[in-house]
Amino acid sequence: MHPSKLKFVYLSLFCAYIFLLLPWSGFALKIKPDFMLLVLIFWLIRAPNLCNIGSAWFVGLFVDLATGGIFGQYALAYTITAFVAVSYQRRLVLFNGTQQLFYVLLLLLISQVILLILKTFSGAQFIGWAYFIPSITGVLLWFIAVTSGLNTGGRFRGK
Amino acid sequence: MARHFDHKLEQQQAPAFFVHGPSALARLAFFSAISLVLLAADSRLQYLASVRQSLQTIIHPLQLLANKPSQFYRDVDEYFSTHNHLLNENQQLKQRVLTQDVALQKLNSLALENDYLRQLLQTNNALVESSVVAEIMHVGRDLFTKKVIVNRGEMHKIAAGYAVVDATGVIGQVTRTYPLSSEVTLITDKSLAIPVQIERNGLRAIAFGHGRDNTLDLPYLPANVDVQQGDKLVTSGIDGVYPAGLAVATVSHIEITPDSPFARIICIPTGGIESHRHVLIVSIPSVEALQKKAMDNPDKLKTDPIEVPTKVPAKAPAKMQLNNTSKPHAPE
Repeated sequence: MHPSKLKFVYLSLFCAYIFLLLPWSGFALKIKPDFMLLVLIFWLIRAPNLCNIGSAWFVGLFVDLATGGIFGQYALAYTITAFVAVSYQRRLVLFNGTQQLFYVLLLLLISQVILLILKTFSGAQFIGWAYFIPSITGVLLWFIAVTSGLNTGGRFRGK
Repeated sequence: MARHFDHKLEQQQAPAFFVHGPSALARLAFFSAISLVLLAADSRLQYLASVRQSLQTIIHPLQLLANKPSQFYRDVDEYFSTHNHLLNENQQLKQRVLTQDVALQKLNSLALENDYLRQLLQTNNALVESSVVAEIMHVGRDLFTKKVIVNRGEMHKIAAGYAVVDATGVIGQVTRTYPLSSEVTLITDKSLAIPVQIERNGLRAIAFGHGRDNTLDLPYLPANVDVQQGDKLVTSGIDGVYPAGLAVATVSHIEITPDSPFARIICIPTGGIESHRHVLIVSIPSVEALQKKAMDNPDKLKTDPIEVPTKVPAKAPAKMQLNNTSKPHAPE
């Protein structure tokens, strides 16, 4: 495993942003995973020296801009999620694949719950439990990425 | 072990005495505080509108890039559309043009007649709306709101508040403009209200978006109200936003319960809210423009509807901006 380069971090975040900007609509929009957060979690786990809570906040701002919502919603959600991810990052190297999946699911859910709270405060109505589907699809995407050979760090340590 | 070694190497790229930077908790507190300040500044104080606009200009090229694949797919799809299909479409369009031409001829003579009658009555001329065709770039990404982003913005003289319609009815209203695009809130959004009139009996009401599904509510109407299933709702035009007489929705369900003094009326929008790609952005001249026109033309001023209270509709909504006398059902 070679040390992670900063340019890979930027490149992957940029690609995720383009994915976010794709004209999703209808059913695809409802199940669309949070690409930016997935890439963030990947780098937070793998290279916390390159990508930390500050980066998460910054990425969140860009997502806020793309969604057109109130500034700071995604920024706050990503900051708190990044905090959880970073504070358990050392422990994560002992996790195996399945445990890591649950951990990622937990992180995705945390960000969604924070977003839900913020949006409810600003007057939105809960749109039903289907709101949490993007977390499930996000974990599925993570699982596919890991099984197709993406090294998320930590996984090989325990073996 | 090799990985462990690498891990150490990676961390030593930073100066040894400042490897970790501030603690995670400190960073969390710092960035959460900034986020909360941003939230407050944006939602309550509206300080960030210009910041958002300039940042949106940076994102616009990225958005165009992201739209390319689907656009390419559509172009290819159109290119390979069959001869037969095109012929059919052509024929249909020709027929439609014919029927619309006939209607237009009638409309022209009616408009002339209307102008003449208005002159006789010495009332204001009907407002002339200007319109711009726009294409929907993408659906809003926030699942909590019903919005679409269209490819016309401030550069094309679009301003917040303009009405957005399609061939079948009202779609929504421009709520935020960027230099090259603008955000349209659909009438099904929870935050949007639209003044309507029932075509059959001229009853005025305000329709609110339902938010969760693509329906509209007609709240605050008494249980004995004269509304029937299948009634058509059209814009009443008294808000100064939407031109009068555009189709909005059809009443689909009426529920009267003994425990509530109000009827529960659900309507389905007639506009192709989630199916069309092209929409028309319509602007009614603003109050300032009308006043300027009235100043240029002082003999019109004395017949201004503001000074003739009998012309003002009895049940005007609070956000009425100007009095539009072009309504067919104005009480005389």
